[in-house]
Amino acid sequence: MQDDLDDLLAQAARRPAVPSEALMERVLADALALQPAAPVMRSVPAGQGFFTRLAGVFGGGPALAGLGAAAVFGVALGYLSPSTLNYLTGTSTDTAEFFPEADFLTTEG
Amino acid sequence: MAFDAHGDVPDEALMVLYANGDRHAALVLTRRVTPRVVAYAARLLGGDRAEAEDVAQETMLRLWKVAPQWRQGETKVTTWAYRVATNLCIDRQRSRGRKRQVALDDAPEVADGTPGAEGRLQEAGRMAALEVALAELPDRQRQAVVLRHLEGMTNPEIAAIMEIGVEAVESLTARGKRALAAILSGRKEELGYEDDTDAG
Repeated sequence: MQDDLDDLLAQAARRPAVPSEALMERVLADALALQPAAPVMRSVPAGQGFFTRLAGVFGGGPALAGLGAAAVFGVALGYLSPSTLNYLTGTSTDTAEFFPEADFLTTEG
Repeated sequence: MAFDAHGDVPDEALMVLYANGDRHAALVLTRRVTPRVVAYAARLLGGDRAEAEDVAQETMLRLWKVAPQWRQGETKVTTWAYRVATNLCIDRQRSRGRKRQVALDDAPEVADGTPGAEGRLQEAGRMAALEVALAELPDRQRQAVVLRHLEGMTNPEIAAIMEIGVEAVESLTARGKRALAAILSGRKEELGYEDDTDAG
């Protein structure tokens, strides 16, 4: 009977079960209902460029503008000769030549 | 057919595709795995086809839910599905406390590949007798015999499904086959094996 049994089991294994169409539809419906959504490629939002992020580091656009204006004013004060400074401030200052050879850097006109 | 586009893709890769939103992968997995789970559950449940389909749907539902966490290379999809189906069948058998006797009408529908009405009748009779004999086996022996000889799983795969050692699988399979042979030997003539020249 052992050989007969082996034949019978082999015969049964070759016969695929056919599930009902209703079951297949239910399983597929479950699959699609539970399926995670496909990932969507998203572009970087406008206004998040390099300079915007850089301004953010210094506290935003207005703060960066104030910092720039102060820097320009400081350079201007350093460039102008003491006589102009006296004119602007209404005072007189004594001058001292620390670098006489560098006069050409402050020559006007 | 359109769903064969993923025909060569392993089940485990299909799981990843499914989790990434590939609807086609859902269709292919459904068609590959569901029939096997239905056949297996029907045999464990003594041929109760309606209950086997419920088990198959629940097994597949759990498969879809686990897909986003699926790790390729850890376990095969079929091994996972058989394990879940086994546990669901055990739960149902315990909760109902009964073991159904198989009738010819309860036997799973199968693809018809046998020529001739007489041959079909004889084969149907043998298959029904096998289902009845399987239903008489103890649960663990039936699981092992079905997985090994009807579902074509290897002993290590069966061990993973049943969560036991390989030696225990070998023992269960051997004892199950001996018990099957003893049950069927009483019906040998009735099943037409006396006159079968090619049946050994």
